[in-house]
Amino acid sequence: MIEPYFFDHIMSTELLFTIIAVVFCFLIYFKTKESYDLTKYKGIKYFRDAFLFLGLSYVLRFLFSPVLLPRITFDLIPPMMFMPFFILPMGYFSTIGIFYIILSSTWKKFNNRNFLIFGHGAAIALSVVSFIMRSHLILLYLQCTLLVIVVMLSFVMPDKGKKISQIKLLYILVAILWLINLFDVDRPGLLPLEMLFKIISLVVFAVIYHKISKWVK
Amino acid sequence: MNKKRARLEVIFDILKVISEHHNSIKPTPLMRYSKLSSSNFSGYHGELISKGLIKEIRDHRGRKYITLTDKGFRYLEKYKLILGFINEFEL
Repeated sequence: MIEPYFFDHIMSTELLFTIIAVVFCFLIYFKTKESYDLTKYKGIKYFRDAFLFLGLSYVLRFLFSPVLLPRITFDLIPPMMFMPFFILPMGYFSTIGIFYIILSSTWKKFNNRNFLIFGHGAAIALSVVSFIMRSHLILLYLQCTLLVIVVMLSFVMPDKGKKISQIKLLYILVAILWLINLFDVDRPGLLPLEMLFKIISLVVFAVIYHKISKWVK
Repeated sequence: MNKKRARLEVIFDILKVISEHHNSIKPTPLMRYSKLSSSNFSGYHGELISKGLIKEIRDHRGRKYITLTDKGFRYLEKYKLILGFINEFEL
């Protein structure tokens, strides 16, 4: 049982982390709107959509958290009954967000339409399986597997012998940090390692936002 | 250079030609200055009109001219920054 003081403290920390992460994601999305409106460039579209879906995923991650669920339901309904209904959209949004961020820099290499259908199909399948199994850990394992496959297909295999660029590493890092943040969603706490990953996540979003601000005024 | 990047450049070149001709030029000289074949030009022409980057106007004798819209001017202004953004993020 968590002491009420720590309970509030954990909730405040989670809320602050979520707000900052979501604000960065939506700032990236809205800041690049004009660039997309002017050019209709597919790479920009996938990049923007990735951050829109990741932002929504972080909102749902917070709502899904057992820190918050008992408060939403006023302890009248067991949180376990609600959780699968958060897993379903969270699974879809986060999978498609990760998929789009990889696709944004690889869309020229692939048959675009088939790869898109694969991404949406995988996102739906992953979220439905996690919903049926009622476990975010299943979602985590499936997303890890999908991430490895997509990264291998997109970044490693086509560029054999070449180094993966810094920006692609940053994209992979965004995806990995999402997975780490998903891992501890059912046991939020204030352990130094958890805080460290939250801070790294925010720093990565801040770096991306800063890089965009140089080009998109 | 990939096809899509070339497309952004071609669009920039077409808009730049219009701008350099006091924002009013007939379709045939525009095609010539843009160094495009007529089939390519008609494709870009339709695309730029549908994207709202250019518009057609007619003078009192009914001759057709092409001019930039506000969006077209913004594209010219922002092109280099957008290209920098695309390059930096490998989009």
